[in-house]
This record gives sequence, C-alpha cells and structure tokens, in this order.
Amino acid sequence: MTNHWIDIKNADAVLIMGSNAAEHHPVGFKWVMRAKDNGAVVMHVDPKFSRTSARCDFHVPLRSGTDIAFLGGMINYILEHECYFKEYVVNYTNASFVVGKKFSFDNGLFSGYDAATRSYNQSTWAFETDEKGAPVRDFSLTHERCVFNLLKKHYSRYTLENVSATTGVSKEDLLKVYKAFCATGKPDKAGTILYALGWTQHTVGVQNIRASSIVQLLLGNIGVAGGGINALRGEPNVQGSTDHALLYHTLPGYIALPLAQWQTLAEFNKANTPVTALKNSANWWGNRPKYFASLLKGWFGDAATPENDFCYGLLPKGEKGEDYSYMYIMDKMLHDKMKGGFVFGVNPMNSFPNTNKMRAALDHLDWLVCSELHHSETSDNWRRPGVDPKTKKTEVFLLPSAHRVEKAGTISNSGRWLQWFDKAVEPGGEARNFADVFVPLINKLREMYSKEGGVLPEALLKQNWPAKYDAEEWTRRINGFFWADTKVGDKTYKKGQLVPAFGNLKADGTTSSLNWLYCGSYTEEEGNKSKKRDPSQTPMQAAIGLYPNWSWCWPVNRRILYNRASVDINGKPYNPAKAVIEWDGSKWVGDVPDGPWAPQADAEKGKLAFIMTTNGYAQLYGPGLKDGPFPEHYEPAEPPVERHPFSGQLRSPVYKFHASELDKFARAADSDYPIVLTTYSMTEHWCGGGETRNVPNLLEAEPQLYVEMSRELAKEKGIKNGDGVIVESPRGRVEAIAMVTIRLRPFTIMGKTVHLIGMPFAYGWTTPNCGDSTNRLTVTAYDPNTTIPEAKACCVNIRKADKLTEIL
Amino acid sequence: MKCTRRSFLKLAGAGVLTLTLGQLGINIDDAMAYAGKLKIEGAKEVVTICPFCSVCCQVIAYVRDGKLVSTEGDPDHPVNEGALCAKGAALFTMYTSDHRLAKPLYRAPHSDKWEEKDWDWTLNQIARRVKDARDKDMILKNEAGQTVNRLESIFMMGTSHASNEECAVIHQAMRSLGVVHMDHQARV
Amino acid sequence: MPKSFLIDTTRCTACRGCQVACKEWHDHPANATKQRGTHQNPPDLNPYNFKVVRFREHLNAEGKVVWNFFPEQCRHCVTPVCVDVADMTVPGAMVQDRATGAVLVTEKSTKLSAEDVQAIIDACPYNIPRYDAATKRLTKCDMCIDRVSNGMVPMCVKTCPTGAMTFGERAEVLEKARKRLESVKAEFPKARLIDAEDVNVIYLLAEEPEHYHDFAAFAQR
Repeated sequence: MTNHWIDIKNADAVLIMGSNAAEHHPVGFKWVMRAKDNGAVVMHVDPKFSRTSARCDFHVPLRSGTDIAFLGGMINYILEHECYFKEYVVNYTNASFVVGKKFSFDNGLFSGYDAATRSYNQSTWAFETDEKGAPVRDFSLTHERCVFNLLKKHYSRYTLENVSATTGVSKEDLLKVYKAFCATGKPDKAGTILYALGWTQHTVGVQNIRASSIVQLLLGNIGVAGGGINALRGEPNVQGSTDHALLYHTLPGYIALPLAQWQTLAEFNKANTPVTALKNSANWWGNRPKYFASLLKGWFGDAATPENDFCYGLLPKGEKGEDYSYMYIMDKMLHDKMKGGFVFGVNPMNSFPNTNKMRAALDHLDWLVCSELHHSETSDNWRRPGVDPKTKKTEVFLLPSAHRVEKAGTISNSGRWLQWFDKAVEPGGEARNFADVFVPLINKLREMYSKEGGVLPEALLKQNWPAKYDAEEWTRRINGFFWADTKVGDKTYKKGQLVPAFGNLKADGTTSSLNWLYCGSYTEEEGNKSKKRDPSQTPMQAAIGLYPNWSWCWPVNRRILYNRASVDINGKPYNPAKAVIEWDGSKWVGDVPDGPWAPQADAEKGKLAFIMTTNGYAQLYGPGLKDGPFPEHYEPAEPPVERHPFSGQLRSPVYKFHASELDKFARAADSDYPIVLTTYSMTEHWCGGGETRNVPNLLEAEPQLYVEMSRELAKEKGIKNGDGVIVESPRGRVEAIAMVTIRLRPFTIMGKTVHLIGMPFAYGWTTPNCGDSTNRLTVTAYDPNTTIPEAKACCVNIRKADKLTEIL
Repeated sequence: MKCTRRSFLKLAGAGVLTLTLGQLGINIDDAMAYAGKLKIEGAKEVVTICPFCSVCCQVIAYVRDGKLVSTEGDPDHPVNEGALCAKGAALFTMYTSDHRLAKPLYRAPHSDKWEEKDWDWTLNQIARRVKDARDKDMILKNEAGQTVNRLESIFMMGTSHASNEECAVIHQAMRSLGVVHMDHQARV
Repeated sequence: MPKSFLIDTTRCTACRGCQVACKEWHDHPANATKQRGTHQNPPDLNPYNFKVVRFREHLNAEGKVVWNFFPEQCRHCVTPVCVDVADMTVPGAMVQDRATGAVLVTEKSTKLSAEDVQAIIDACPYNIPRYDAATKRLTKCDMCIDRVSNGMVPMCVKTCPTGAMTFGERAEVLEKARKRLESVKAEFPKARLIDAEDVNVIYLLAEEPEHYHDFAAFAQR
C-alpha cells in the first residue's frame, strides 16, 4: 500500500477493483465503511457481486480480464473531460517528457517487437535527452511527442463503445464509475484504489496496476491522505517476505539478484545504480551501493572487506533473462532438473495453476522437505487419490511447524507497519519455527564442510551465522550495526552499536544492515520500535489517523509514501483539512516527508517530489516494463472471444507460458470451453485452505467446494441449485456443488453472450469429502514482468454430474 | 508489552462470576449458562498477531499455566480496534487442534506410510542430501567461463507465513548454499 | 439496568466473525455441514450455534442485486414469553436476569418434557430456542452473561469489524438506533428498526424483514 489501512477513511471516493476487500480483508474493510460514513462514494467493479459489493454504493460487473479496457476508458474520460489535476500532472509526473522518435504504437504492438523471441527492444521507447543526458521536457504539454499527448492519443481509442463491448459493462455503468471517481481530480479531493490478486493474476497483471497508476497520477491522488494505490496484500507477511526477498530476482531491500555478467561488485554497482542529469532529482536509488555493501557486511561480517568486494564473488549469480520463479521451478522439476527442495508454509499442490501438472512434477523429486501445521496436499502428494505410493520415489521430511502464537518476531502489514508479536506459549509437540530449522541445518552443513571439505565451502563458512536463533537478535541484524566507531552529528557510535537510520549506511564496510528499508526500526535511543504502542499524535496527524508512534513503518516511519506530492511546489498542502505534510518555512511537519529537502520550488535546496524515480517524476509513461510503456488491452491467454475492438493483437504479444505435454490451452472462443472461470478465496478459508480446513469451526461455515453461476447458465445447462457438477478445462476436471445465484449474470460481449462462473480454490483432498483443487482447471500462462499465473481468467465448460466422488 | 487502553474491562473489575441470588431471582446453583469462572480470569495477556491476511490484526492471547485459554482482538490496536473476522475469531481452536503435526515425519521412497523421527536424525538426513546435491551440482562457472557459484538442483518455496526475522534467516541460508530457485506467495 | 444490542445490518459484511467467535467462546464443537447451494452454514440455529449469519438475495425494483445478511440470535425480549411458558411447567427452567435483561436457560430446563420444550419453542416469536436431545438441554444465546457481568461486551459484539453490532445500556442503544435509522434513510428509504420496544436485540434492516429471514420480525409470525 502507498498509504495504510486507517488512511482509507480519508477518501472521498473508494474504487475497489481486482479485490473483494470485505471478504478477504474483513477487518481492513472497516476503514472503507468509515470513509462511507464520512460521505465517500464506494464502488466495486468485479465479475461477481460479493459481500464487498453488498456494502458498496454500487457494484459494476466486469468480465474477468478486461480491467485495462475499463481503466483505459477512465483515462480517456479524464483527458477528454479535463478532470485531471493539471498543476500536479505538470509538476509531479513525466507528462512533460518528450519521447524519442523511435517510439511507435501500431495495431496493438509497440515499437521494437521481435516475434521470434516474443519480446520488445525497450530502447525504442526511450525519452529524448539533451546533450547532458537530461530528459527533454515541455512543460506547456504541447509537443506532439510529449507523454501527455501520446497518452491522449493512445487512450482516445478507449471509447465508451469499445470499452462497453469488451468489458460487458453498460455505458451507463461505465459513466457512473468514471464520473464518481474522476470527481477526485481536485486539489482538496482524494480517491483511493484498492486492489489485490484480481489485478495481479493476469497475463497483463502489472499493466492493470500501471493503468491505475496513470488514473491516480492524472487525478493527483498519489501521496495524499485518502489517496494512493493500495495493494491489499494477501498473505500475513507477504509484505515483509517480499521486502526480505524470499524471491529469486531480488536480494533483501529490492537489490537485484547478481547476474553472471556482473563479475565484480563494481560491475554490479555500475549496472544497478541509476544516474540522473537533473540536479534537483534526489534519485534515491543512487544510494544502492551503500545498501548492498551493508547487506554483504551483514551476511559475511568480519570476512567481508573492501579488498574482497565484501565477498560479493561468493554469491550465486543468475543468467540474464533466466526465470527462476515458481512456475519455472515446477517445469524444471517435471523435466528432472531438480533433486530436492524446501516447501515451507505454502501448498503448491493446491494453489498453483494446472495442479495436475504440478502434482506430476513433484513426483520427480528425490527428496522434499516440508514444514507445516498439518499434512497438506503437497507433503502427502505421494499418496494422492488415484496413485500407488509404491510407484513414487520421493523421500519426504515433514516438519511440524510452530504457529504464530508460539513464536516471537515482527511482521509487516499491508501498510508497511512493522509490528512485534510475543511468544505466548511453547510450540505444540515438537513443533519448531522456520528459523529453528534453518539455523541448525546450516550449522550442521558448516560442520560437515569444515570436516569433510566439498565444493565452495567458503560460501558457507564465511557466513556471519549464529549458533542458535534468537528472534530479536535478527531484528537487530536487520536494522544493522556499525562495524567501526562512527560519529553521527555530535554523537559517536561504538562498533557493534545499532545504526540509527539508513542515511547512515555506508559502502565502505563500516556498517551492516540485512535490509536498508528497515534500518532505523531498532535503535540505541529508542530500542525495538516495532513494540511501540503509543497512540499519541499531533492534531494535524490525528486529523488523518496517522498514528506515527504506534509501531514503526518503513521507510523511516513514513506512513504515506510519495507525500511530497500532497503539497504544492511551495510545500503548502493541497487539502489543508487533511494535510499529510506541510513546509513551515524551515522544516516539514506532519508525516515524515519523502526526504528532508526543501520543497520543489526552492531552486537550490529543493528536490523533485518522486524521489524513488531516477529523474524525480512519477511515470505516466513507463519505459521499463516488458510489455509496453502504456497499458493496452489484450485478452487473457484463453480468450472467450476471437477478437476485440482495440487492435488485431488478440493476446499480449509477450506473455509467458509453458508448453509441456501437460500445459494445454483452449483456442480463442473455443466452443468446447466457452465459459470464463475466475477463481478466488473467501473469508472463512485461507488461500489453499491447508490451515483453515483443519479448523472445524471454519469448515462448518464453508464445508465444500462450490461453483457460483448465473440462473441463465444453470437453465441452459439443466443445473439446479445444490446439484453436483463437473467443471472441465483442457487441463483437468473438478467436481463442485452448484450455487445458482443472481449475483452472477451473463455478459454481452460484442453482441454475444459470455457466461462467467466463479470458484474458490480452498479445498483439497487431504480434507475428506470436501472437494479437490480448483486449480486443476487454471492455466500456466503468466505475466511477462512477474511470471504471476493467470488464475483469474481461463476457459471451461460445465455440466451436471451423474455421480460425485470428490464431494460426499 | 504494556497496554494503554482497555475499554472493554473498564466497566467493571474483573472477578469471579457469581451473580447473586437477588440479581437472578433464583438459586445460583440452578443456573447453568453462567455458572463458573470467567475463563480468562487471572490469565496472562500476551500480544500476538493474527496469522492470516495483511491487515495483521493484533490479538490478545490469554495464557494460564503455560496454556492458551482464549484469544480475542486487541482493543487498543488502532487498526483492528479489537475486531476479528471468522478466521481471526477461530485462532483458539486453530492452535489447540489435535489434528496438528506434533513430530517430524519421514516417508521413505516408495513407502506407503509416515514414520516418526527425531529432529536430530531428520536434520542430519536433510543436511546430507543438501550437501551431496550441492557438491555434485554446484555450477562454479557458466558456459561463458564466468564465475556463477550457482546451485540449480535445490529450490526453496514459501514463505510469507514467516516473520521478517525468519525470512532474513532463510534468504541468507539459501544464498549461502548457492540457491537461485527461490520463490514465494508474492507470485501466486 | 437492562442491556441491549443494536445489530445494524446495513453495516454487516457477513464476515461471520460473530458466528465463529460465539462458538469459540462457548467451546462449542463444530457441526458436520454440507454445501447446499448457499453460503449460509450451518443451515439453522442449533445447540452449538447460538448465532448464525443468514444470507438472502433478491433483485430489487430497479433490477439491482440486493444481498442481505442477518446475524441471528435470541432477542432477549423485554417481556420474554419463553420464561412464562417454562414457568408453567418447570419454574426456573428459564429466567430473565434482572441486572442485564438477559434471558437465560437454567439447569432446571433438563426437567422439561419434550412437549414442554416444544411449547417454549413454539411460543418464541422469533423461533430461537433449540433442543439438544443428547443432553436434554434447551439452548440459545446467553448474552455472554459471564462476560457482561464482568464488564465486557458479548463476544459477537467484541469481534464485529464494521460496527454492525454494538452493546450497552438499553436507553443509550435505543437512542443510537434511532439516530442511525435517520442517517441510513437517505440510502435506504425503507429502513426500519425491528420491534425495538419489545426486544433487547434491536435489528436495523434496510428493507422489509422478509428479505432477511422468515422470523426476522414479530409481525411475520
């Protein structure tokens, strides 16, 4: 989230799209209700009328996979009706940047497309620069190649007719949302967008979110109270675990995975440290070498020296363009390129798409280590229905896992608040937390390498690794230490003391930090700030519910990101009644500002508002993504239609997919699979359901797999409410109970009726008689930037079942 | 941790529940629904956090004699203000479930059953398999002759259920082994 | 002074925190349920569910979907008929607590015959009490009398995320209910309080009670 939970109450308009907020973040939804109490209009745009829709001012059903069309129409509406906040757009976005002459867009393809590799040469999208390398800007917004005019041209095609025909939303409903949300394009109004996996799980997932960014930047809704683009993060600590990078492509703190082409630290830093020619751009990532050196120092301790590149050479290096993500791990497993691995607190054999492929792939492992609360469809894959365990070779170690109440530590909520939890009771049985598995395991390996030798032992032996795990010691390691006596202001910190803030991190090996974003969370002066429980606030802070003294949030306790854009270039709040920060002539008051510098208008000391971008401006035009600088509508990998009105390019030209014998796809408008399936979770179960199906009081409330469908489709198929049905895709077959409801209705797409059904994915065979993985139906097609699978839209068929075997 | 505001306890002092005869108009011995102690009476309050969605509602765990006796939302927390959803409300039976795994289990190749093992044996076995794979499969140099120190045959999946501290441990552990195939729930 | 609940269904998201929290506080085991084509589960109140969230949907006059949620529980009537009926055969089997107004089932209820129990159930205007044949007990919401007597709010109210449920002194709750009714009328012109003078669990509904439950209001009986 750019903002945080409580801040939602400050919105004048709340657009919930790609999220079922009331069902999946039920307690967070109280802040949507508060916004509504304060007079906000609350809208839900989603294929299904859900418990969220029930509490909104209105619900607008949208065909799954057409969000960019819908938002593109909104961008067009904003530009045509001049609802944008011009001063904000000119001063804070790259609207004025002139794009180079090589850029073009024709019939659904951007310039630089190579069909053979399904990729773009992004250099053709670059900005025009002057002799110093600074972007050419036209603040009058008249240059025909300035971003603003390219944006206008691109989205002029997103007419109400085209958008309505594609999305299935009536023109009246489109205008209802556009008008209500675009009314926030005024200095003293704010609109917030709440999204979740409904946007990310598409082959155009990243561009869905980009489109919302464009809307919010045009309306001046980023950085302000009640504004922002708020990813309602799913998993309990998916924010923190992303920050700490349990991901292949980054190291903690959003530092890129080193690649083979960067053999030395200097080469890495050169490639990963942006340089700006604009002297008033803070270009915060220019500090990356300090953060990386401090990370290496944290990992390798005394062994890390400037002379040995802080042991950079010992780190694994990836190959450029190689994808090491979930879907590729599974595909490599199927092709016998994996020996073994660790699956901790996740249930891929239920929650990954095309589960039949995944289940088959897992059989190819020699060994598997799982750490769970209960047996899961993953740990017990070798005895899944229909297989003979004797034919399955995989050795499985299943470790009993400690639950939250049985361990201590911090997690980061969706609003980036770092919160401490205490250990209430000892773990049940012999259960252990995850760290109490890996700390001794690595120690055993270090011992083995010391005694026996082996390949590259120093990568293990040079680690700064503890004998035993202590949670709070790691909270301190994450914050970071001084490794030499250091003077900060008039205070001298001793070697071994905590670094007070990331501004003090250095690239010379005198500081460590396992995550620069969290530096400042644990200090000598204030201790462990994640334990702070002080509700006090200044009247200015209380007016927007900022709670700066309750816990701590990254970065540097800044509660609303990009808050320099909540004020004009002189530092005066656009909305004084809900001011986030204000320049009092010598300093900022309110929230922690996005950098301490004077306002943008100060030619000497001022800095541009968007400090995390190289040139200081927010990006209406984003030349860094794999699928284009502007979001463009493409159909899902399995489209229920043969064409759409925006171009001749039916699907994204660059989406990723797998093509093994187990990765099958329906044709466009396939008559065998004419129905769109979207999948979701629900309040009573958690994701794949591995925990919650084993809580009887939750299983009682939602006991078995269902499929929600319209009355019209049910009639067409001769299905009655409560009937057992079979849902089939080219990849699998799933049994479910029919839930026939008015909450789903057929869509009219380019004159043709398209049915959409919805199913949760919380059920699995280890819970008797409740049904099995819905993901046996979903596709192995992915977003080209993130490799997130398209779980929200695929094509299926449905029929009444003669007999059920999975649901009894 | 100190709690600052406990509005729900303000109304009356906590105490053993014994409604008087006069209050009820009947003999207390006859009453069933309300006889006995308040189950959290005298229990220690420990602040924890609901383990599900990213609202991260704070929860008070009531602990007596080292045992969990009840859980409910932390009324002081400015986000959840004491509230919980169905999942959060079910934390108590989630923790006390006898369905939970209690010991390390091992399934041998081609076996049709689980066997209970101790932790030391289990970790030794895992360490041996990791070392064997690492020693055999570590790619020190790629085809271009560049140093890559990469182990491709072992992977790590999960875990957004981990604390930040556990994440830091896991990431460091994996990179020290040379693992690049690492991914978690941010990508599903 | 009697206590009352306000259950403002215009705020309810059917998260079922109340339904589950009630079970957890009372240490009630789960019922085996099945998916029958509705989210409502368990299908009805039962000895282990003093609170059930009911789901009902319809298309309104404009053809828009309306999905209503009704977190159902004992109304703790101001003048509880069930107590009177019980007193006719087993005095003290049901009582009304003077301090809180809570209508409670006592241990004596096990002495009620099957006919007596049925008479009590039939007498309830809201079809609330349920009989547990296994333990021979009459069961229903006890207002979390243990919590309330210790200055705490009932577990369902404590758990509610959206403020759909509030609890307090009857006079204050009535006042709040009337104010809330006025403020929601702009959005829901047909909004109403249900039997506010007669019950201590006052529902605010956005439209006619039949769109929520067959026994939402006394008049439906």
